Amino acid sequence: MLSRSSIGAIALVTALSAVLMTIDGARAFDDALYPNLKGQWLRARPPAGVRGQGPFDPDKSGGRAQQAPLTPGYQARFEASLADQAVGGPGLWTGARCLPVGMPAMMTLFRPMEIIVLPETTYIRIDHIRESRRRIYTDGRDWPEDPQPSFDGYSIGKWLDTDGDGRFDTLEVETRNLKGPRTFEPSGIPLHEDNQTIVRERIYLDKADPDLLHDDMTVIDHALTRPWTVAKKFRRDKVEHAIWPEDICPDHNGLVFIGNDMYYESADGLLMPSKKGQEPPDLRYFSQPKK
Amino acid sequence: MMFRSLIGTCMLAAALFTMLSEARAFDESKYPNLKGQWVRARVPGVTGQPSYDPTRRQGLEQHAPLKPEFQAVLEANIRDQAVGGQGGDPTFMCISPGMPRIMNPYGAMEILVTPETTHILIEHIHDSRRIFTDGRTWPEEPVDPTFQGYSLGTWIDTDGDGRYDTLEVETRYLRGPRAFDAAGIPLHPDNESVIRERIHWNKDDPDKLTNEITTIDNALTHPWTVTKTYVREAVERPEWYEEVCTEGNGHVGIAGQNYFLSGDGLLMPAKKGQAPPDLRYFKQTQK
Repeated sequence: MLSRSSIGAIALVTALSAVLMTIDGARAFDDALYPNLKGQWLRARPPAGVRGQGPFDPDKSGGRAQQAPLTPGYQARFEASLADQAVGGPGLWTGARCLPVGMPAMMTLFRPMEIIVLPETTYIRIDHIRESRRRIYTDGRDWPEDPQPSFDGYSIGKWLDTDGDGRFDTLEVETRNLKGPRTFEPSGIPLHEDNQTIVRERIYLDKADPDLLHDDMTVIDHALTRPWTVAKKFRRDKVEHAIWPEDICPDHNGLVFIGNDMYYESADGLLMPSKKGQEPPDLRYFSQPKK
Repeated sequence: MMFRSLIGTCMLAAALFTMLSEARAFDESKYPNLKGQWVRARVPGVTGQPSYDPTRRQGLEQHAPLKPEFQAVLEANIRDQAVGGQGGDPTFMCISPGMPRIMNPYGAMEILVTPETTHILIEHIHDSRRIFTDGRTWPEEPVDPTFQGYSLGTWIDTDGDGRYDTLEVETRYLRGPRAFDAAGIPLHPDNESVIRERIHWNKDDPDKLTNEITTIDNALTHPWTVTKTYVREAVERPEWYEEVCTEGNGHVGIAGQNYFLSGDGLLMPAKKGQAPPDLRYFKQTQK
Protein backbone atom coordinates (compact mmCIF):
# COMPACT_ATOMS: atom_id res chain seq x y z
CA MET A 1 0.00 0.00 0.00
CA LEU A 2 1.33 3.35 -0.96
CA SER A 3 1.84 5.76 1.87
CA ARG A 4 0.05 9.09 1.88
CA SER A 5 3.36 10.82 1.39
CA SER A 6 4.17 8.68 -1.66
CA ILE A 7 0.77 9.40 -3.19
CA GLY A 8 1.34 13.07 -2.54
CA ALA A 9 4.78 12.90 -4.10
CA ILE A 10 3.44 11.16 -7.23
CA ALA A 11 0.63 13.71 -7.48
CA LEU A 12 3.10 16.56 -7.18
CA VAL A 13 5.40 15.15 -9.86
CA THR A 14 2.40 14.46 -12.14
CA ALA A 15 1.18 18.01 -11.68
CA LEU A 16 4.64 19.40 -12.33
CA SER A 17 4.96 17.26 -15.43
CA ALA A 18 1.64 18.58 -16.69
CA VAL A 19 2.81 22.15 -16.13
CA LEU A 20 6.08 21.42 -17.90
CA MET A 21 4.29 19.76 -20.81
CA THR A 22 2.15 22.87 -21.16
CA ILE A 23 5.25 25.00 -21.18
CA ASP A 24 6.81 22.57 -23.63
CA GLY A 25 3.89 22.98 -26.00
CA ALA A 26 4.24 26.73 -25.89
CA ARG A 27 7.92 26.61 -26.79
CA ALA A 28 8.17 25.60 -30.37
CA PHE A 29 11.90 26.00 -30.83
CA ASP A 30 14.40 24.22 -28.61
CA ASP A 31 17.65 25.83 -29.68
CA ALA A 32 19.57 23.62 -27.27
CA LEU A 33 18.99 20.79 -29.74
CA TYR A 34 21.23 22.56 -32.24
CA PRO A 35 24.96 23.31 -32.09
CA ASN A 36 25.91 26.75 -30.87
CA LEU A 37 26.99 28.51 -34.06
CA LYS A 38 26.57 32.05 -32.76
CA GLY A 39 29.20 34.68 -33.34
CA GLN A 40 31.39 35.80 -36.17
CA TRP A 41 33.13 33.20 -38.33
CA LEU A 42 36.22 33.89 -40.40
CA ARG A 43 38.15 31.80 -42.88
CA ALA A 44 40.63 29.65 -40.90
CA ARG A 45 44.28 30.49 -41.34
CA PRO A 46 45.66 28.41 -44.24
CA PRO A 47 48.48 25.93 -43.80
CA ALA A 48 52.00 27.33 -44.12
CA GLY A 49 53.03 27.98 -47.68
CA VAL A 50 49.52 28.30 -49.10
CA ARG A 51 49.30 31.44 -51.24
CA GLY A 52 46.61 33.12 -53.26
CA GLN A 53 43.57 35.21 -52.58
CA GLY A 54 40.93 32.87 -51.22
CA PRO A 55 41.74 29.55 -52.85
CA PHE A 56 38.81 27.16 -53.27
CA ASP A 57 40.72 24.24 -51.79
CA PRO A 58 42.11 25.95 -48.68
CA ASP A 59 44.93 23.44 -48.36
CA LYS A 60 46.51 24.40 -51.71
CA SER A 61 47.62 27.68 -53.21
CA GLY A 62 45.28 29.37 -55.66
CA GLY A 63 45.39 29.02 -59.44
CA ARG A 64 46.99 26.04 -61.16
CA ALA A 65 48.19 24.67 -57.82
CA GLN A 66 44.56 23.85 -57.05
CA GLN A 67 44.77 21.07 -59.63
CA ALA A 68 41.11 21.54 -60.40
CA PRO A 69 39.75 18.50 -62.24
CA LEU A 70 38.63 20.56 -65.23
CA THR A 71 37.59 19.16 -68.58
CA PRO A 72 40.01 20.17 -71.37
CA GLY A 73 37.64 22.85 -72.67
CA TYR A 74 37.31 24.50 -69.26
CA GLN A 75 41.02 24.10 -68.54
CA ALA A 76 41.59 26.18 -71.70
CA ARG A 77 39.19 28.84 -70.41
CA PHE A 78 41.04 28.85 -67.11
CA GLU A 79 44.41 29.28 -68.86
CA ALA A 80 42.96 32.21 -70.82
CA SER A 81 41.75 33.75 -67.55
CA LEU A 82 45.22 33.46 -66.04
CA ALA A 83 46.75 35.00 -69.17
CA ASP A 84 44.36 37.94 -69.02
CA GLN A 85 45.07 38.52 -65.32
CA ALA A 86 48.81 38.40 -66.05
CA VAL A 87 48.46 41.53 -68.20
CA GLY A 88 46.14 43.39 -65.81
CA GLY A 89 42.72 42.08 -66.78
CA PRO A 90 40.09 40.58 -64.46
CA GLY A 91 40.09 37.19 -66.15
CA LEU A 92 36.91 35.28 -65.43
CA TRP A 93 36.61 36.54 -61.84
CA THR A 94 33.29 38.39 -61.75
CA GLY A 95 33.97 39.92 -58.35
CA ALA A 96 35.92 42.58 -60.25
CA ARG A 97 32.60 43.71 -61.72
CA CYS A 98 30.99 43.73 -58.27
CA LEU A 99 28.93 40.71 -59.22
CA PRO A 100 28.22 38.20 -56.43
CA VAL A 101 30.70 35.35 -56.42
CA GLY A 102 27.89 32.88 -55.66
CA MET A 103 28.11 29.24 -54.62
CA PRO A 104 30.50 27.63 -53.92
CA ALA A 105 33.07 30.49 -53.87
CA MET A 106 31.06 32.53 -51.35
CA MET A 107 31.82 29.86 -48.73
CA THR A 108 35.51 30.75 -49.01
CA LEU A 109 34.53 33.62 -46.69
CA PHE A 110 36.04 36.70 -48.23
CA ARG A 111 34.24 38.53 -45.41
CA PRO A 112 32.91 37.43 -41.98
CA MET A 113 30.00 35.01 -41.77
CA GLU A 114 27.07 34.81 -39.36
CA ILE A 115 24.95 31.68 -39.04
CA ILE A 116 21.42 31.98 -37.69
CA VAL A 117 19.75 28.70 -36.85
CA LEU A 118 15.96 28.77 -36.73
CA PRO A 119 13.66 25.74 -36.86
CA GLU A 120 12.59 26.04 -40.50
CA THR A 121 15.66 27.66 -42.01
CA THR A 122 19.35 28.12 -41.30
CA TYR A 123 20.53 31.48 -42.58
CA ILE A 124 24.10 32.29 -43.60
CA ARG A 125 24.84 36.01 -43.84
CA ILE A 126 28.05 37.07 -45.60
CA ASP A 127 28.50 40.72 -46.51
CA HIS A 128 30.81 40.44 -49.49
CA ILE A 129 30.10 42.47 -52.64
CA ARG A 130 26.41 41.88 -52.11
CA GLU A 131 24.86 41.24 -48.72
CA SER A 132 24.50 37.57 -49.43
CA ARG A 133 22.11 35.52 -47.38
CA ARG A 134 21.88 31.85 -47.99
CA ARG A 135 18.60 30.36 -46.87
CA ILE A 136 19.05 26.67 -46.14
CA TYR A 137 15.56 25.27 -45.74
CA THR A 138 15.39 22.60 -43.04
CA ASP A 139 11.59 22.33 -42.91
CA GLY A 140 11.47 19.10 -44.88
CA ARG A 141 10.42 20.68 -48.16
CA ASP A 142 11.18 19.17 -51.55
CA TRP A 143 12.78 20.96 -54.51
CA PRO A 144 10.45 23.61 -55.91
CA GLU A 145 9.13 23.05 -59.41
CA ASP A 146 10.34 26.21 -61.10
CA PRO A 147 12.50 28.41 -58.89
CA GLN A 148 14.30 31.45 -60.22
CA PRO A 149 18.04 30.72 -60.39
CA SER A 150 20.28 32.81 -58.17
CA PHE A 151 23.97 33.23 -57.36
CA ASP A 152 23.37 31.87 -53.84
CA GLY A 153 21.27 29.00 -55.19
CA TYR A 154 18.38 27.17 -53.57
CA SER A 155 19.49 25.12 -50.58
CA ILE A 156 17.76 22.31 -48.77
CA GLY A 157 19.30 21.05 -45.56
CA LYS A 158 18.85 18.42 -42.92
CA TRP A 159 20.12 18.44 -39.37
CA LEU A 160 21.66 15.15 -38.22
CA ASP A 161 22.55 13.77 -34.81
CA THR A 162 25.48 11.66 -35.94
CA ASP A 163 26.67 10.56 -32.49
CA GLY A 164 23.26 9.85 -31.03
CA ASP A 165 23.63 12.19 -28.05
CA GLY A 166 20.23 13.76 -28.61
CA ARG A 167 21.61 16.94 -30.14
CA PHE A 168 22.03 17.81 -33.80
CA ASP A 169 25.66 18.22 -34.78
CA THR A 170 25.81 18.20 -38.57
CA LEU A 171 23.95 20.13 -41.24
CA GLU A 172 23.81 18.35 -44.58
CA VAL A 173 23.03 20.72 -47.42
CA GLU A 174 22.41 20.42 -51.13
CA THR A 175 22.33 23.52 -53.31
CA ARG A 176 20.93 23.77 -56.85
CA ASN A 177 19.27 26.32 -59.11
CA LEU A 178 22.34 28.46 -59.55
CA LYS A 179 23.01 31.21 -62.02
CA GLY A 180 26.27 32.44 -63.46
CA PRO A 181 28.83 33.33 -64.47
CA ARG A 182 30.68 31.89 -61.45
CA THR A 183 34.20 30.78 -60.73
CA PHE A 184 35.65 28.74 -57.90
CA GLU A 185 38.14 31.41 -56.89
CA PRO A 186 39.66 34.75 -57.92
CA SER A 187 42.14 33.10 -60.32
CA GLY A 188 39.14 32.28 -62.49
CA ILE A 189 38.74 28.48 -62.30
CA PRO A 190 35.40 28.35 -64.10
CA LEU A 191 32.17 26.53 -63.39
CA HIS A 192 30.15 25.38 -66.40
CA GLU A 193 28.05 27.98 -68.12
CA ASP A 194 25.03 25.64 -68.06
CA ASN A 195 24.80 26.39 -64.32
CA GLN A 196 23.70 22.86 -63.52
CA THR A 197 26.05 22.85 -60.56
CA ILE A 198 25.14 20.83 -57.49
CA VAL A 199 26.96 21.65 -54.25
CA ARG A 200 26.79 19.24 -51.32
CA GLU A 201 28.03 20.26 -47.89
CA ARG A 202 28.42 18.76 -44.44
CA ILE A 203 28.78 21.55 -41.91
CA TYR A 204 29.77 20.59 -38.36
CA LEU A 205 31.68 21.83 -35.35
CA ASP A 206 35.00 20.26 -34.57
CA LYS A 207 34.56 17.75 -31.74
CA ALA A 208 37.65 18.96 -29.91
CA ASP A 209 37.40 22.67 -30.70
CA PRO A 210 33.97 24.35 -30.54
CA ASP A 211 35.36 27.45 -32.26
CA LEU A 212 36.34 25.54 -35.38
CA LEU A 213 33.68 24.82 -37.98
CA HIS A 214 34.14 22.38 -40.84
CA ASP A 215 32.45 22.61 -44.20
CA ASP A 216 33.20 19.51 -46.25
CA MET A 217 32.09 20.51 -49.71
CA THR A 218 31.65 18.53 -52.92
CA VAL A 219 30.94 20.30 -56.20
CA ILE A 220 29.40 18.42 -59.11
CA ASP A 221 29.62 20.48 -62.30
CA HIS A 222 29.91 19.83 -66.02
CA ALA A 223 33.17 21.81 -66.16
CA LEU A 224 34.73 19.04 -64.02
CA THR A 225 35.79 15.54 -64.94
CA ARG A 226 34.65 14.29 -61.51
CA PRO A 227 33.14 15.72 -58.31
CA TRP A 228 35.61 18.02 -56.55
CA THR A 229 35.72 17.72 -52.76
CA VAL A 230 37.47 20.16 -50.45
CA ALA A 231 37.48 20.69 -46.69
CA LYS A 232 36.90 24.28 -45.67
CA LYS A 233 37.42 25.44 -42.11
CA PHE A 234 36.10 28.50 -40.34
CA ARG A 235 37.35 29.98 -37.08
CA ARG A 236 35.02 31.73 -34.57
CA ASP A 237 36.30 35.16 -33.65
CA LYS A 238 36.22 35.34 -29.87
CA VAL A 239 34.90 38.84 -29.37
CA GLU A 240 31.82 39.60 -27.33
CA HIS A 241 30.25 42.09 -29.72
CA ALA A 242 31.60 41.49 -33.19
CA ILE A 243 31.65 44.36 -35.65
CA TRP A 244 30.00 43.48 -38.94
CA PRO A 245 31.67 45.46 -41.72
CA GLU A 246 29.57 46.72 -44.59
CA ASP A 247 31.00 45.78 -47.97
CA ILE A 248 29.42 47.85 -50.73
CA CYS A 249 31.54 46.92 -53.71
CA PRO A 250 30.63 49.81 -56.07
CA ASP A 251 31.53 52.22 -53.28
CA HIS A 252 35.18 51.19 -53.22
CA ASN A 253 35.73 49.47 -56.53
CA GLY A 254 38.47 51.26 -58.44
CA LEU A 255 37.54 49.48 -61.65
CA VAL A 256 35.27 50.84 -64.37
CA PHE A 257 33.71 48.50 -66.90
CA ILE A 258 32.50 49.82 -70.22
CA GLY A 259 31.11 46.92 -72.17
CA ASN A 260 33.71 44.18 -72.01
CA ASP A 261 36.61 46.53 -71.34
CA MET A 262 37.98 47.21 -67.88
CA TYR A 263 39.63 50.49 -66.92
CA TYR A 264 41.01 51.91 -63.72
CA GLU A 265 39.76 54.97 -61.92
CA SER A 266 42.78 57.14 -61.16
CA ALA A 267 43.31 58.86 -57.81
CA ASP A 268 41.86 62.03 -59.32
CA GLY A 269 38.80 60.12 -60.50
CA LEU A 270 39.68 60.04 -64.19
CA LEU A 271 39.62 57.02 -66.44
CA MET A 272 42.95 55.32 -67.09
CA PRO A 273 44.05 52.14 -68.86
CA SER A 274 44.26 48.86 -66.96
CA LYS A 275 46.57 47.26 -69.50
CA LYS A 276 49.62 48.53 -71.32
CA GLY A 277 48.66 50.04 -74.61
CA GLN A 278 44.91 49.83 -73.92
CA GLU A 279 42.83 52.00 -76.21
CA PRO A 280 40.45 54.57 -74.74
CA PRO A 281 36.69 53.90 -74.81
CA ASP A 282 34.73 54.59 -77.93
CA LEU A 283 33.00 57.96 -77.52
CA ARG A 284 30.99 57.96 -80.74
CA TYR A 285 27.77 58.77 -78.88
CA PHE A 286 29.11 62.08 -77.63
CA SER A 287 28.52 64.91 -80.04
CA GLN A 288 30.79 67.42 -78.38
CA PRO A 289 34.51 67.67 -78.84
CA LYS A 290 36.58 65.66 -76.36
CA LYS A 291 37.89 67.63 -73.35
CA MET B 1 10.18 7.97 5.86
CA MET B 2 7.79 10.67 4.70
CA PHE B 3 10.61 13.15 4.97
CA ARG B 4 12.83 11.04 2.65
CA SER B 5 10.13 10.69 -0.02
CA LEU B 6 9.44 14.41 0.08
CA ILE B 7 13.12 15.13 -0.40
CA GLY B 8 13.15 12.73 -3.35
CA THR B 9 10.09 14.39 -4.83
CA CYS B 10 11.58 17.84 -4.49
CA MET B 11 14.84 16.66 -6.05
CA LEU B 12 12.98 15.12 -8.98
CA ALA B 13 10.94 18.27 -9.47
CA ALA B 14 14.05 20.43 -9.26
CA ALA B 15 15.79 18.21 -11.81
CA LEU B 16 12.86 18.49 -14.20
CA PHE B 17 12.82 22.29 -13.92
CA THR B 18 16.59 22.49 -14.31
CA MET B 19 16.52 20.32 -17.42
CA LEU B 20 13.90 22.49 -19.01
CA SER B 21 15.42 25.80 -18.08
CA GLU B 22 18.81 24.71 -19.44
CA ALA B 23 17.45 23.11 -22.57
CA ARG B 24 15.12 25.93 -23.54
CA ALA B 25 17.38 28.90 -23.98
CA PHE B 26 15.16 30.63 -26.52
CA ASP B 27 11.46 30.84 -25.79
CA GLU B 28 10.16 32.11 -29.11
CA SER B 29 6.59 32.11 -27.84
CA LYS B 30 7.49 35.27 -25.91
CA TYR B 31 8.03 37.09 -29.19
CA PRO B 32 5.53 37.99 -31.88
CA ASN B 33 5.33 35.61 -34.80
CA LEU B 34 6.94 37.67 -37.56
CA LYS B 35 7.74 34.77 -39.85
CA GLY B 36 7.03 35.06 -43.54
CA GLN B 37 7.40 37.67 -46.23
CA TRP B 38 6.50 41.29 -45.49
CA VAL B 39 5.91 43.92 -48.14
CA ARG B 40 5.10 47.62 -48.12
CA ALA B 41 1.37 48.29 -47.72
CA ARG B 42 -0.08 50.19 -50.65
CA VAL B 43 -1.78 53.46 -49.78
CA PRO B 44 -4.75 54.12 -52.08
CA GLY B 45 -4.27 57.23 -54.18
CA VAL B 46 -0.53 57.51 -53.54
CA THR B 47 1.35 56.80 -56.75
CA GLY B 48 4.99 56.80 -57.74
CA GLN B 49 8.02 55.34 -56.04
CA PRO B 50 7.96 54.52 -52.32
CA SER B 51 8.05 57.60 -50.16
CA TYR B 52 9.25 58.29 -46.62
CA ASP B 53 5.77 59.39 -45.53
CA PRO B 54 3.76 56.66 -47.25
CA THR B 55 0.56 58.74 -47.20
CA ARG B 56 2.03 61.28 -49.63
CA ARG B 57 3.84 61.12 -52.96
CA GLN B 58 7.61 61.41 -52.90
CA GLY B 59 9.39 64.71 -53.41
CA LEU B 60 7.84 68.12 -52.75
CA GLU B 61 4.48 66.63 -51.73
CA GLN B 62 6.16 65.11 -48.70
CA HIS B 63 6.39 68.60 -47.15
CA ALA B 64 9.62 67.54 -45.47
CA PRO B 65 10.49 69.91 -42.59
CA LEU B 66 13.75 70.90 -44.26
CA LYS B 67 15.83 73.88 -43.31
CA PRO B 68 15.88 76.46 -46.14
CA GLU B 69 19.32 75.47 -47.39
CA PHE B 70 18.30 71.81 -47.57
CA GLN B 71 15.01 72.71 -49.22
CA ALA B 72 17.19 74.38 -51.86
CA VAL B 73 19.18 71.14 -52.22
CA LEU B 74 15.94 69.20 -52.75
CA GLU B 75 14.75 71.62 -55.41
CA ALA B 76 18.12 71.45 -57.17
CA ASN B 77 17.93 67.65 -57.07
CA ILE B 78 14.49 67.69 -58.64
CA ARG B 79 15.71 70.04 -61.39
CA ASP B 80 18.73 67.78 -62.04
CA GLN B 81 16.52 64.70 -62.29
CA ALA B 82 14.26 66.55 -64.72
CA VAL B 83 17.15 66.80 -67.21
CA GLY B 84 18.37 63.21 -66.81
CA GLY B 85 20.55 63.50 -63.70
CA GLN B 86 20.29 61.43 -60.55
CA GLY B 87 19.96 64.43 -58.22
CA GLY B 88 20.82 63.32 -54.70
CA ASP B 89 19.85 59.66 -55.10
CA PRO B 90 23.01 57.53 -54.87
CA THR B 91 21.22 54.22 -55.45
CA PHE B 92 21.67 54.41 -59.22
CA MET B 93 25.28 53.31 -58.66
CA CYS B 94 24.12 50.43 -56.45
CA ILE B 95 24.90 52.29 -53.25
CA SER B 96 22.57 51.42 -50.38
CA PRO B 97 19.70 53.86 -49.76
CA GLY B 98 20.59 53.63 -46.06
CA MET B 99 18.45 54.41 -43.04
CA PRO B 100 15.68 55.49 -42.80
CA ARG B 101 14.90 54.99 -46.49
CA ILE B 102 15.60 51.26 -46.50
CA MET B 103 12.57 50.77 -44.26
CA ASN B 104 10.26 51.98 -47.03
CA PRO B 105 11.00 49.05 -48.00
CA TYR B 106 11.68 48.55 -51.71
CA GLY B 107 11.91 44.74 -51.75
CA ALA B 108 10.41 41.89 -49.77
CA MET B 109 11.38 41.86 -46.10
CA GLU B 110 12.04 38.99 -43.72
CA ILE B 111 12.40 39.45 -39.96
CA LEU B 112 14.41 36.92 -37.97
CA VAL B 113 13.99 37.16 -34.22
CA THR B 114 16.65 35.68 -31.98
CA PRO B 115 17.22 36.58 -28.33
CA GLU B 116 20.35 38.60 -29.08
CA THR B 117 19.58 40.12 -32.46
CA THR B 118 16.62 40.84 -34.67
CA HIS B 119 17.72 40.60 -38.29
CA ILE B 120 15.83 42.51 -40.95
CA LEU B 121 16.61 41.10 -44.38
CA ILE B 122 15.43 43.18 -47.33
CA GLU B 123 16.07 42.11 -50.89
CA HIS B 124 17.06 45.33 -52.61
CA ILE B 125 20.52 46.87 -52.97
CA HIS B 126 22.24 46.55 -49.63
CA ASP B 127 19.43 47.13 -47.16
CA SER B 128 19.61 44.45 -44.46
CA ARG B 129 20.01 45.29 -40.79
CA ARG B 130 21.02 43.88 -37.43
CA ILE B 131 19.16 45.22 -34.41
CA PHE B 132 21.00 44.19 -31.27
CA THR B 133 18.60 43.30 -28.44
CA ASP B 134 21.13 41.74 -26.09
CA GLY B 135 21.15 44.70 -23.74
CA ARG B 136 24.44 46.16 -24.95
CA THR B 137 25.06 49.88 -24.81
CA TRP B 138 26.49 52.11 -27.53
CA PRO B 139 30.06 51.08 -28.34
CA GLU B 140 32.73 53.03 -26.49
CA GLU B 141 35.12 52.90 -29.41
CA PRO B 142 33.89 54.67 -32.52
CA VAL B 143 32.51 52.18 -35.02
CA ASP B 144 32.86 52.57 -38.76
CA PRO B 145 29.68 54.25 -39.95
CA THR B 146 27.48 52.30 -42.33
CA PHE B 147 24.45 53.00 -44.49
CA GLN B 148 22.33 50.78 -42.23
CA GLY B 149 23.78 52.24 -39.06
CA TYR B 150 24.26 50.61 -35.69
CA SER B 151 20.94 49.71 -34.11
CA LEU B 152 20.06 48.89 -30.51
CA GLY B 153 16.63 47.55 -29.72
CA THR B 154 14.42 46.60 -26.80
CA TRP B 155 11.46 44.28 -26.93
CA ILE B 156 8.44 45.54 -24.98
CA ASP B 157 5.21 43.91 -23.85
CA THR B 158 2.94 46.94 -24.09
CA ASP B 159 -0.35 45.23 -23.25
CA GLY B 160 0.98 43.11 -20.39
CA ASP B 161 -0.15 39.79 -21.88
CA GLY B 162 3.22 38.16 -21.29
CA ARG B 163 4.30 38.40 -24.91
CA TYR B 164 6.43 41.09 -26.52
CA ASP B 165 4.61 43.06 -29.19
CA THR B 166 6.80 46.08 -29.86
CA LEU B 167 10.42 46.51 -30.79
CA GLU B 168 11.84 49.92 -29.92
CA VAL B 169 14.97 50.72 -31.93
CA GLU B 170 17.46 53.53 -32.07
CA THR B 171 19.94 53.77 -34.93
CA ARG B 172 23.12 55.84 -35.04
CA TYR B 173 26.57 55.76 -36.70
CA LEU B 174 25.31 56.33 -40.22
CA ARG B 175 27.19 57.26 -43.33
CA GLY B 176 26.08 59.04 -46.44
CA PRO B 177 25.11 60.34 -48.85
CA ARG B 178 21.53 59.39 -48.02
CA ALA B 179 18.15 60.72 -49.08
CA PHE B 180 14.67 60.10 -47.69
CA ASP B 181 13.36 59.08 -51.10
CA ALA B 182 14.26 58.78 -54.77
CA ALA B 183 13.37 62.43 -55.37
CA GLY B 184 16.41 63.35 -53.30
CA ILE B 185 15.03 64.81 -50.05
CA PRO B 186 18.43 65.15 -48.38
CA LEU B 187 19.71 64.15 -44.99
CA HIS B 188 22.51 66.27 -43.57
CA PRO B 189 26.01 65.39 -44.86
CA ASP B 190 27.29 65.41 -41.25
CA ASN B 191 25.52 62.01 -40.96
CA GLU B 192 24.58 62.65 -37.36
CA SER B 193 21.09 61.30 -37.94
CA VAL B 194 19.38 59.50 -35.09
CA ILE B 195 16.48 57.31 -36.11
CA ARG B 196 13.97 55.96 -33.62
CA GLU B 197 11.48 53.26 -34.51
CA ARG B 198 8.57 51.53 -32.82
CA ILE B 199 7.89 48.38 -34.77
CA HIS B 200 4.55 47.16 -33.49
CA TRP B 201 2.71 43.90 -34.04
CA ASN B 202 -0.97 43.83 -33.18
CA LYS B 203 -2.13 40.37 -32.11
CA ASP B 204 -5.66 41.18 -33.34
CA ASP B 205 -4.34 41.93 -36.83
CA PRO B 206 -1.32 39.60 -37.01
CA ASP B 207 -0.55 40.04 -40.69
CA LYS B 208 0.04 43.76 -40.33
CA LEU B 209 3.04 45.48 -38.86
CA THR B 210 3.40 49.19 -38.21
CA ASN B 211 6.66 51.09 -37.95
CA GLU B 212 6.53 54.55 -36.44
CA ILE B 213 9.78 56.17 -37.52
CA THR B 214 11.15 59.43 -36.18
CA THR B 215 14.20 60.90 -37.88
CA ILE B 216 16.28 63.49 -36.05
CA ASP B 217 18.68 65.11 -38.49
CA ASN B 218 20.44 68.43 -38.86
CA ALA B 219 18.86 68.97 -42.27
CA LEU B 220 15.45 69.17 -40.55
CA THR B 221 13.83 71.94 -38.54
CA HIS B 222 12.26 69.37 -36.19
CA PRO B 223 12.10 65.57 -35.84
CA TRP B 224 10.09 64.06 -38.68
CA THR B 225 7.74 61.24 -37.66
CA VAL B 226 5.88 58.99 -40.08
CA THR B 227 4.12 55.65 -39.75
CA LYS B 228 4.80 52.89 -42.22
CA THR B 229 2.70 49.77 -42.59
CA TYR B 230 3.85 46.38 -43.80
CA VAL B 231 1.62 43.45 -44.67
CA ARG B 232 2.44 39.75 -44.58
CA GLU B 233 2.03 37.85 -47.82
CA ALA B 234 -0.37 34.95 -47.42
CA VAL B 235 1.88 32.27 -48.89
CA GLU B 236 3.24 29.31 -46.98
CA ARG B 237 6.65 29.22 -48.66
CA PRO B 238 7.39 32.59 -50.21
CA GLU B 239 9.94 32.83 -52.97
CA TRP B 240 12.81 35.20 -52.25
CA TYR B 241 14.04 36.79 -55.44
CA GLU B 242 17.69 37.66 -55.48
CA GLU B 243 18.18 41.28 -56.45
CA VAL B 244 21.66 42.01 -57.78
CA CYS B 245 21.83 45.70 -58.54
CA THR B 246 25.23 45.51 -60.21
CA GLU B 247 24.00 42.92 -62.69
CA GLY B 248 23.02 44.77 -65.80
CA ASN B 249 23.24 48.22 -64.23
CA GLY B 250 23.35 50.63 -67.15
CA HIS B 251 24.99 53.48 -65.22
CA VAL B 252 28.71 54.18 -65.32
CA GLY B 253 30.23 56.65 -62.89
CA ILE B 254 33.43 58.44 -63.94
CA ALA B 255 34.89 61.41 -62.11
CA GLY B 256 31.61 62.12 -60.33
CA GLN B 257 29.65 62.13 -63.58
CA ASN B 258 27.00 59.61 -64.52
CA TYR B 259 26.98 58.13 -68.01
CA PHE B 260 24.87 55.42 -69.59
CA LEU B 261 25.92 52.23 -71.26
CA SER B 262 24.30 51.86 -74.66
CA GLY B 263 22.76 48.64 -75.87
CA ASP B 264 25.96 47.89 -77.78
CA GLY B 265 28.09 48.38 -74.67
CA LEU B 266 29.45 51.84 -75.49
CA LEU B 267 29.53 54.90 -73.29
CA MET B 268 26.84 57.49 -73.95
CA PRO B 269 25.73 60.71 -72.29
CA ALA B 270 23.09 60.65 -69.57
CA LYS B 271 22.15 64.26 -70.12
CA LYS B 272 21.66 66.36 -73.23
CA GLY B 273 24.90 68.06 -74.18
CA GLN B 274 26.97 66.15 -71.61
CA ALA B 275 30.71 66.30 -72.26
CA PRO B 276 32.59 63.00 -72.67
CA PRO B 277 34.95 61.85 -69.92
CA ASP B 278 38.46 63.22 -69.72
CA LEU B 279 40.79 60.69 -71.39
CA ARG B 280 44.12 62.40 -70.68
CA TYR B 281 45.65 59.19 -69.31
CA PHE B 282 45.30 57.44 -72.65
CA LYS B 283 48.19 57.99 -75.03
CA GLN B 284 46.57 56.60 -78.10
CA THR B 285 44.11 58.10 -80.46
CA GLN B 286 40.53 57.69 -79.37
CA LYS B 287 38.68 54.84 -81.08
